[in-house]
Amino acid sequence: MTHPDADPRTGRVRITSPLTTASPHVRRTVQQEIDESTGIGEVYVRSLVRSQLRAALTVVTTLMLTLGALPIVFWLLDFNDLAVFGIPLAWIVLGVAVYPGLFLLGWLYVRQADRSERDFAALVYPVDSSTERRPR
Amino acid sequence: MNATYGVVAITLVALATIGIGAFGLRLSRTTSDFYVASRSVSPALNSSAIGGEYLSAASFLGVAGLVLATGAEALWFPIGWTTGYLLLLVLVAAPLRRSGAYTIPDFAQVRLQSGAVRVVASLLVVGVGWLYLMPQFQGAGLTMRTVTGAPGWVGTVLVAVIVMVNVVSGGMRSITFVQAFQYWLKLTALLIPVFFLLHAWTSDGSPSPVAPSDWILPFGDPDPETMYRIYSVMVATFLGTMGLPHVVVRFYTNPDGRAARRTTLIVLALLGAFYLLPTIYGVLGRIYASDLIDEGRADAVVLELPSRMMGGTAGELFGALLTAGAFAAFLSTSSGLTMSIAGVVGQALSRRGVVSNIVGLQVAAVGGVMVPLILALSADRIAVASSVTFAFALAASTFCPLLVLGIWWRGLTAPGAIAGLVGGGLCAGVAPIVTIAVHPEGWFGVLAALPAAWSVPLGFALMVGVSLATRHKVPADVSRTMVRLHTPEGVELKR
Repeated sequence: MTHPDADPRTGRVRITSPLTTASPHVRRTVQQEIDESTGIGEVYVRSLVRSQLRAALTVVTTLMLTLGALPIVFWLLDFNDLAVFGIPLAWIVLGVAVYPGLFLLGWLYVRQADRSERDFAALVYPVDSSTERRPR
Repeated sequence: MNATYGVVAITLVALATIGIGAFGLRLSRTTSDFYVASRSVSPALNSSAIGGEYLSAASFLGVAGLVLATGAEALWFPIGWTTGYLLLLVLVAAPLRRSGAYTIPDFAQVRLQSGAVRVVASLLVVGVGWLYLMPQFQGAGLTMRTVTGAPGWVGTVLVAVIVMVNVVSGGMRSITFVQAFQYWLKLTALLIPVFFLLHAWTSDGSPSPVAPSDWILPFGDPDPETMYRIYSVMVATFLGTMGLPHVVVRFYTNPDGRAARRTTLIVLALLGAFYLLPTIYGVLGRIYASDLIDEGRADAVVLELPSRMMGGTAGELFGALLTAGAFAAFLSTSSGLTMSIAGVVGQALSRRGVVSNIVGLQVAAVGGVMVPLILALSADRIAVASSVTFAFALAASTFCPLLVLGIWWRGLTAPGAIAGLVGGGLCAGVAPIVTIAVHPEGWFGVLAALPAAWSVPLGFALMVGVSLATRHKVPADVSRTMVRLHTPEGVELKR
């Protein structure tokens, strides 16, 4: 008895799979991972939140160690005799110097926060498509 | 002071406010225009508007008055009001904008899916708003009396009516223009006279202020009560700013989260520039107008200095300019507060289907002004600075924990939020009533006058503790909310 597909010379039968039952291999994008709240998507979002929180807490800590410590510093150290152009040092610090300092901290924070968001966007839109779809 | 110049100045500010408001009216048509200026306000315009809205009577008149009366210690107030914006920037600005909500109650709803939290938050918005609005109205009456000799209620009613007309007719869009205009008016009004006053001072031989050493030195006397006061003011102002309803509502007008950060950064610069000036008035006041302290009118030092130091027409004109600035301060802060109260109450009305969106906003604006107006007219005058600090303490004890924990901690639950809002709100809300009604002495009096240092940790502790105890009530969609709050808008994700 011979198989209809069998090679009449060798008698060998070619066995192939139509591949209809195997799931097609599709690359899942980061976007899908996040949209479907998969484990990987969660990791991406949590790492973004954590880096933003770290930047925020850096500013908070800096404030506590500088402004927050000032009353104690003024209290412990004697600044009575220190003056610049006849103005007591405490007035210069509290009335003038504090404000550029606050702005500088804010500026550094905004730079860091924007960078974290750019990194996140680059993760979601890998290099090849980043030129056309880069977020504003 | 010559009353004519003062009246002309007040009239011009009032007309300009209504005029710019009317200009905005032509542009404001849709509900979104009314509530959040269609979210199309650029950072430059928006930050001027925030600056204009934020610099109230307490900043324009109060800081100089406090410096005159208490010296270096007073400098902590403007520092706190500015640092509050830095903390707002780093902890809430962008996520708050990305939450896509109009008001703090909206934020609570988005984050916690709870109608009950929404109701509690709405009541607190109204409470904080009234606490802040009343001293503004009273300050307007005081200024009017100082400048023109008119009875106190004239200025109070005038400011209330202008604010009501503006909010009812144009909503947020016109308010944005008005606020932006008023920041620059306030800065100019303080800045230009300073040069002439300093010139007059150097011509006079640059005399130094005659003052006791605890005026010149911030903490000459190591007194635990003083230390508590300083740190409590710090906690209230640092953390209260982010929870003030009229500040928060401005963030929804930014186009996106990055713009919200840009806006806040510019605000930091605008506030820093402004707060350099009141100190100069306060110190000059110590030299030339120290009798105001004994008269209990230290707050009037900014208005009185030009006529005292320069005299003549120039002095009167600068006095009028400063009066205009002070009136701009009352108008802008009151408008912002009224708008935020109206936004919250109007939404509540229209959600229940009582009235349409815009009508709801207008009804709420009238109601939101009438109550503090009646309070301002009937209650004894409470010092502007202390009443404003109560509003900061209440906001810091309730909305600050809600926003910070809601944005950064997935574990926050609706019962936790309610516990914190009610607990922190009761403590920071009862303290001013006790202070005003009973005037307690000693340590209890200090703790009641400046509750923030203990009521803010309490609000946080209640929110965290009760949330941990009701862990099963963490909203199911918290991951989706976190994506929405923290991912940049340019990345297309399901939000």
